[in-house]
Amino acid sequence: MADDTARQVSAEPAASGLKRTDFFAAMRANRRRTTVLCLGLILLGGVLGYVIGLAFEVFTAQDPDFALQAGLRLQSMGGLAAGGFMIVFGTLWTLVALFLGDKIVLGLAGAREVTTDAEPRLHNVVEEMAIAAGLPKPRVYVIETPALNAFATGLKPEKAAIGVTRGLLDTLSRDELQGVIGHEMGHIANDDIVYMTAVGVIVGMVVLISDVGLRSMRFMSFGGRSRSSSSNKGGNGAAIVMLVILLVFLILAPIAAKMLQMAISREREYLADATGVKFTRNPLGLIGALKKIDGSDARFQGAPKAIQHLFITNPFKKFGESAGALFSTHPAISQRIERLQNLG
Amino acid sequence: MVELLVIIGIIVLVGLFVAMLYNRLVAGKNQVENGWSQIDVQLKRRHDLIPNLVEVAKDYMDYEQETLQQVIAARNGAVDAEKSGDREGQIKAEGMLGAALGRFMALAEAYPDLKANQNVANLMEELSGTENKIAFARQFYNDSVLAQNTRVQTFPSNLVANMFRFTLHPYFEVPEEEKAPVKVDLR
Repeated sequence: MADDTARQVSAEPAASGLKRTDFFAAMRANRRRTTVLCLGLILLGGVLGYVIGLAFEVFTAQDPDFALQAGLRLQSMGGLAAGGFMIVFGTLWTLVALFLGDKIVLGLAGAREVTTDAEPRLHNVVEEMAIAAGLPKPRVYVIETPALNAFATGLKPEKAAIGVTRGLLDTLSRDELQGVIGHEMGHIANDDIVYMTAVGVIVGMVVLISDVGLRSMRFMSFGGRSRSSSSNKGGNGAAIVMLVILLVFLILAPIAAKMLQMAISREREYLADATGVKFTRNPLGLIGALKKIDGSDARFQGAPKAIQHLFITNPFKKFGESAGALFSTHPAISQRIERLQNLG
Repeated sequence: MVELLVIIGIIVLVGLFVAMLYNRLVAGKNQVENGWSQIDVQLKRRHDLIPNLVEVAKDYMDYEQETLQQVIAARNGAVDAEKSGDREGQIKAEGMLGAALGRFMALAEAYPDLKANQNVANLMEELSGTENKIAFARQFYNDSVLAQNTRVQTFPSNLVANMFRFTLHPYFEVPEEEKAPVKVDLR
């Protein structure tokens, strides 16, 4: 039966929709995105640091005129210092993400490596899909939770890891499991995993820093007000403008980071679905798996937010048809199934 | 002077373009070779498993000695073909082996004693796992061959391919016999 579908695909390359997918282009795009992401976030970190440093200087300045000047011209030694610090820190953190990201992700997910003897079926399926992708076999991990989910991570396709939940292993048939592993292997083959791992580790950090910044801002604004009561109105106005800018920035930064992460990973899920079917030559397996995952009520306790985009379906929310909507990391399952059926 | 610069510029551009096409052809060829070595690993496993399985099956399948001999003959033919290094001959020999194996597996269904043997069950499981992997390795290989042959045959990369003697690679076809569902005679 595998042969039959294989023949169909090679007989009708245009109609299958698979040949149009240029995987090497996807890989190049991913490398580029990883670079842009790292540089972009380092820069963002620098700007964030500058704004915080500038605000700090304005609010703590003894001379109101100085505060006004600095606030209006947006020039500040404190800002430069804090921005520089953030750039150095961001660079270091990016390096950590690029060298240890897979271990951090596996740790966050609570995944445990399993041997061939413990999970022969899973290991066989992973090996088959690795062969179909022409890649070395990834390491195999299991997460002990009844929820149905799976993810892939790693810093290059040759050294990847695939993790599945216990619930998935217990619920899916072999064909369905193959569909899911094919999807994860698709992420690996398209070189998504480096980018997605880096996003998880770096964006998680940006969110954390913005949180800290926001909290310390609240604290500072109280201190600033008591002092500025004695100063002239101009200084006060500048301080308020600064405060608004700062607040807007601090609120926008993590949202921007999240939206970036999400917009790109939806596209990626469709592509990985298609790539997975290219490997299994059996869209029904993945369709069946997605239906079961969609119908499952088991909750994923302790799923980490920073790596939600790595999973095959979002571990937090169920999205309806409107999930073209802004804040989902994954397309609605019904839309994915529809596209898979069109692959035929 | 300007003309000279333009000519040099064009030559450099053409050179870069040729280099790009050449690199893509080399990458494609490497992928085909990688695909083939993946198949090879699984085929070797297949060759190792078959004699063990047939050895045990002999005791149970009294009336099927001919089929068993066909399997062994096909297996030996495949091993010889592998040693000769002729890829197309090897593909043909493996196709025959696959067909013989298919008949053997179908016949084995009729021998409950055979299937009850734990040793046989393990070997059968192992062998069908290997057959699965062969199928996926073949799929990857054929996809790589399709991409590479297209590059070798289509303009403009065919010019570079001719210049540097890139050749077409054979597909790993499965004979019709193996693809057709095996008929089991239930007397």
